[in-house]
Amino acid sequence: MGAYVARRLAWLPVILLMVSFITFVLGRYGPGDPVEALAGQYYDPAVVERIREQRGLNDNIFVQYGRYLGNVFQGDFGDSFKYQGRSVNELLLKKMWVSAQLNIAALVISVALGVSIGLFAALKQGTPWDTGSVAATLVGQSVPIFLTAPGLLLIFALWLDILPTHGWGGFFDTRIILPAVAMGVPGIAIVARLTRSSTLDVLGQDYVRTARAKGLGEGTVRRRHILRNAMIPVVTTIGFSLAGIAFTSFIVEIFFGIPGVGSLLIESFFARDYPVINAVTLIGTTMFVLAMLIVDLIYPVLDPRIRLGGGSIAE
Amino acid sequence: MKSCMNWKILLAVLGTVALIALTVACGGSSTEPPDEGETAQESPTEAASGTEEAPTPSVADVRSKTPENTLVRLYVDPPTLDPHLTTDAVSAQIIIEVFGGLVTIDRDLNIVPDLAERWDISPDRRVYTFHLDPDAVFHDGRRVTAHDVQWSLERATNPLTESPVVDQYLGDIVGVEEKLNGDAQTISGVRVIDDRTIEITIDAPKAYFLAKMTYPTGFVLDRENVEADPRRWFREPNGTGPFKLSRYDVGELMVLTRNDDYHLGAPRLDAVEMILSGGSSMLMYQGDEIHISGISLADLDRLLDPSDPLNSDLRRAQPTFSVQYIGMNVNEPPLDDPKVRQALNLAIDKQEIATIVLGDLVVPAQGILPPGFPGFNNNLMSYDFDPDEAKRLLEESKYGDDLANIPPITMTTAGSFGANVSLDMEVVLQMWERNLGITAEFQQTEYATFLKDLHKRRFQMFEIGWIADYPDPQNFLDILFHSESSNNHTHYSNSEVDALLEQARTETNEAERIRIYQQVEQLIIDDAPWIPLWYSGEQYVLIKPNVKDYLLPPLYIPRLRYVYLSDE
Repeated sequence: MGAYVARRLAWLPVILLMVSFITFVLGRYGPGDPVEALAGQYYDPAVVERIREQRGLNDNIFVQYGRYLGNVFQGDFGDSFKYQGRSVNELLLKKMWVSAQLNIAALVISVALGVSIGLFAALKQGTPWDTGSVAATLVGQSVPIFLTAPGLLLIFALWLDILPTHGWGGFFDTRIILPAVAMGVPGIAIVARLTRSSTLDVLGQDYVRTARAKGLGEGTVRRRHILRNAMIPVVTTIGFSLAGIAFTSFIVEIFFGIPGVGSLLIESFFARDYPVINAVTLIGTTMFVLAMLIVDLIYPVLDPRIRLGGGSIAE
Repeated sequence: MKSCMNWKILLAVLGTVALIALTVACGGSSTEPPDEGETAQESPTEAASGTEEAPTPSVADVRSKTPENTLVRLYVDPPTLDPHLTTDAVSAQIIIEVFGGLVTIDRDLNIVPDLAERWDISPDRRVYTFHLDPDAVFHDGRRVTAHDVQWSLERATNPLTESPVVDQYLGDIVGVEEKLNGDAQTISGVRVIDDRTIEITIDAPKAYFLAKMTYPTGFVLDRENVEADPRRWFREPNGTGPFKLSRYDVGELMVLTRNDDYHLGAPRLDAVEMILSGGSSMLMYQGDEIHISGISLADLDRLLDPSDPLNSDLRRAQPTFSVQYIGMNVNEPPLDDPKVRQALNLAIDKQEIATIVLGDLVVPAQGILPPGFPGFNNNLMSYDFDPDEAKRLLEESKYGDDLANIPPITMTTAGSFGANVSLDMEVVLQMWERNLGITAEFQQTEYATFLKDLHKRRFQMFEIGWIADYPDPQNFLDILFHSESSNNHTHYSNSEVDALLEQARTETNEAERIRIYQQVEQLIIDDAPWIPLWYSGEQYVLIKPNVKDYLLPPLYIPRLRYVYLSDE
């Protein structure tokens, strides 16, 4: 187990090195230029050249990359090109934490409601309860977020006037409710349908019949045998959500005025703010690798038959 | 088509960010002025709720949700607060409230004293002697001296400061070019006479010099403040403007508080709060959480209905000094024949597009200088819609009347999210096809890429806008049409125009100068390197009834000190 984790983590720097180099080179050779984007429509070639020179953008690409890597090793992602006088760390970390909290709140809603509804539908398979609940979650998934977000605002903030229209106060503030709901609702359907199908799958398994046959109470059967095994695909899905946890709430952040990382990212791409873009790529990659590792580590907890570290899955 | 539609909806949602990206990248010459309209979060809510009655806001409500005597509005993070590095209007609008220079622009758009209480101009109009206002102080109470002015100009022109626009705004001062090239350590044309007097010499009697000095590149900074932390000093700036920056959390909130000692008269507001985290502007306005909101085209129809509760809050902003146009590369066939360019001009019915497609929010443009701008010419001979004449000119051109001879035309515009052809451009292309039989291709590139290609003059035909940085015709005509200007994207070259532009630079008789510029504008229109499209129309803004004297001028000027809140 420990060896497995160590081996997986050992790959992380290699992956990061590759990803960072590709991002770095793509940024430098892709179309557009940060200095010209900064100078805007008024253009003086001499000025652009002067600033490029001073920022080291005219150096050999390997020299630039080496310099960048050296700073990153010291935990310094550099200063933003666009937001002068702001370090990438300062800009990103605070905003990523905000976005992460929002995503976690939304994930809690998706998973809690999704698993309950999915389980409920599976156990009532074939009844109107089944079709009804699945249909309801589908509607929730199909309505786009740019409709649910203003809809929620209209109802709860403007008509009922019980929740504020915008702002951020952290995880335990009422202002997180509407955005988390808007973001969480589409996920309910995904989790619910996954839970339902994998539960149905598990329900027909021999070990469930065996468990019932040996006289276990229905509650125990559901908890220990059905739910646990049915959760494997759900955990995989959650893993993917975790991987993008700090970066995927852009639209909701705009609607509800949440100082998350979303708009910063978009602006950085447009301004060719390389330091921010590179940092985001590195952090995103790290989070993806770690999330996948966590998912792998949870599998054996859910299903003791799964062995990590290349061992075969024993029946 | 479906994915295209989705993009359009998403575009509406992302409108703000796209605009921010645009304006910020536009370097003070954006086509989308980042004013009230810009911070409006374009939300489909109103469309979704139809004509649903919203609760009528009352003045009392606004007060209960916003701090006492404080103006609250949405804004976006300024890319910089360092005046010498400013290139964009988002930053400039904050900077002109916190800092100041020798001169400024008043509410009637005149150039008036700021830190300099008066100035003398030498008979040859090359030497300006500024006398500083004895009451002008930095926010920490220290009096502004001529040494501060000198140090600030030296800093702005230091190549290490990396100002992208310093050549444009301060390049007329004798010695600036040498300093920027590293040939001199100081600006020879700036001389401190005594603590309260400074003399600036420019290279020719340029009438627009003072106008350029109103831009933040020439602003005065506190040396101690800057040198304490050269990279980050502006996070706690010691300016001279009517407001102090008392709080700034990136992406969250910016608070400007009143400078009680402001030498031109302290502001009437206690503070201005700018919410930077975004939000749904219209909803926040209706929820009485902000005082000012921009309006999307989708909401405008509803608000223009007198029975709408918000109708009485509608205010009309003056059109900004800007022009939207199609530029044509005059070296690229078939645009190398003026007759083709003129035909393309004549074949567009701008009035129809303005009314039907753009809801009359723009004004069809005849020339280059916008209405109300110095030098605007009502009698300019331009191209009224005339499909027959267009056809005739095309037949007379060297490409003759056989359409097969005409090389393909590609128009490029800057896009943001997805491939979304603006409706007005779609109609322009259709009109060319219908009236001339010319089928032009349309291509869109992302903004930073667009800028690069524009600067490299890679486009055959492009659509873009230009907005005034200072009220002088030179700002449009010289920068965009002189054959040696780096911003002449059409390769337009007319020796007569060049000679007149050079003459106008140093013409001291103001009336004669304006006459020269009008002559230049006529010559350019005749040669038709451009198809002028739109001047900015009047923009609508929602402002709470208790907000008084919130000016909506066509240029960015310091204006927050005039604002006050009153129930009357």
